[in-house]
Amino acid sequence: MTTTTHGEMVTANRPAILEITGLSHHFVHDGAIVPVLRELELTVRGGELVCLIGRSGCGKSTLLKIVAGFLAPTAGRCRLDGRPIQRPGPDRGVVFQEDALFPWLTVRENIGFGLSGRQWPRRQRQQEVDRILELVGLQNYGGYLPQALSGGMKQRVALARVLIRSPRLLLMDEPFGALDAQAREEMQELLLDLVRRRRQTILFVTHDVQEAVIIADRVLVLERDGGRIREELTIDLARPRDRSDRQFQACCSQLRQWLRT
Amino acid sequence: MNVAKGMILGKEVLQSLLLPLAALTLWFGLSVTGLVPGYLLPSPPTVLHSGIGYIFGTPGDGPYAGRFAGDLAASLVRVLLGFAIAAGLGIPLGICSGRLALVNRLVGHSIGGLRAVPGICWLPLALIWFGIGIKTTVFLVALAAFFPIYQNALTGSRLVAPIYYQAGAMLGVSRLRGIFAILLPMAMPNIITGLRLGMGISWAYLVLGELTGVPDGLGAVIMDARMLGQTDIILVGIILIAVIGRFCDRLLVAALRLCFKSARRPR
Repeated sequence: MTTTTHGEMVTANRPAILEITGLSHHFVHDGAIVPVLRELELTVRGGELVCLIGRSGCGKSTLLKIVAGFLAPTAGRCRLDGRPIQRPGPDRGVVFQEDALFPWLTVRENIGFGLSGRQWPRRQRQQEVDRILELVGLQNYGGYLPQALSGGMKQRVALARVLIRSPRLLLMDEPFGALDAQAREEMQELLLDLVRRRRQTILFVTHDVQEAVIIADRVLVLERDGGRIREELTIDLARPRDRSDRQFQACCSQLRQWLRT
Repeated sequence: MNVAKGMILGKEVLQSLLLPLAALTLWFGLSVTGLVPGYLLPSPPTVLHSGIGYIFGTPGDGPYAGRFAGDLAASLVRVLLGFAIAAGLGIPLGICSGRLALVNRLVGHSIGGLRAVPGICWLPLALIWFGIGIKTTVFLVALAAFFPIYQNALTGSRLVAPIYYQAGAMLGVSRLRGIFAILLPMAMPNIITGLRLGMGISWAYLVLGELTGVPDGLGAVIMDARMLGQTDIILVGIILIAVIGRFCDRLLVAALRLCFKSARRPR
């Protein structure tokens, strides 16, 4: 792909935040060993938005769970800022695919939940919640309960409750997969706005090729069932990206071809 | 607007009173026409009169006059004590069994087996152990109310999807704090169901415990009245237990809603 004057290439010089080397994982199912990841290598640099795509069952969600600290890998090393990942920590935030908001808490309370461990005065906490509410465009919905929100709004809250903790690395597991096309595009724009404003580093799992090309600095394609990175594509297109652009479509077809074979 | 609202509310109240009114009418019909003789089914006015005497009369006017306050207090103490013991044991044990496979293996079969024993079977044993009085009744109430509370707390804690614990861990909730910050609120609807069933069954076993010859209590009055052939007082006792039981249920739900966000907010 041709380099643009946009400056995305700068991320290539930034230090790595997440370093994964020789990562393997298998599940035991009915006594048989089912390998999921095999000697996977992966690096994410500061401020980078890396998309991980692959067919269902290729281990992309497993990889994300390991990085989140929910799952201990069978073998290999997984380091964040040089420290090994062993359990969930404040340096990582996860946005899940399905609705995982706490149903008995209002939008405000859900967002403030992640601050309850900190000994902040009440006013400071409220101000911080207000700031984040505005950032995700939900300032008028603070008092709502999750059951009263649309799918897109729920995912905004899910994003907000993680952002308020200012994680080093944001992990997103097909977060917009269940949304309609309109809401998905809005969320993609919101995410890009966030990256621009906060230089947030994101590892984003998706199976939607177009979504990957719209948002990513770099797209990693997982092997169909080999459990490692098959190919890597740096997307140097200027933002905002145009879906009807010839180069955009070339990126998409390239990725689709890798996914097929 | 307000008139329309009032009409809807009136309609709803009317609908909820339909069944009690129909039962009352049937009762009237049966006793006025003489289809059922008075010693089997006293007429509503007779029962009302006995009820007023029982509740508001001065002691000494009749065998049951003015006894209500004392009986109610005695019964309430027994029910609430037994219910509190059942909830205090049932909720923690149910949650532990639901979350920890080891605990479930340790106590699952024993509790399941005990549950299969009808509560009434414990009466003779309770009488031998505790004698006649408050201890026997509280024991029976606590035993009977324990099972629905335990079972629903177990189910509720099992139904909490792992993703909520993951979300909690990701937001900095430790395992111990997770019990109060995530598990209990998530399982709250089931816990409420268990507590309500437990409260209902508490009143049933209260009467059983009081049938054994204690001097006071709503169950004791019913049993006493049977021996004296006062069907009207039996009916008064039954109606009062129905009303008080219903009231306790509403009070329980209201108290839980007052105390817990997870109980008062819809999902």
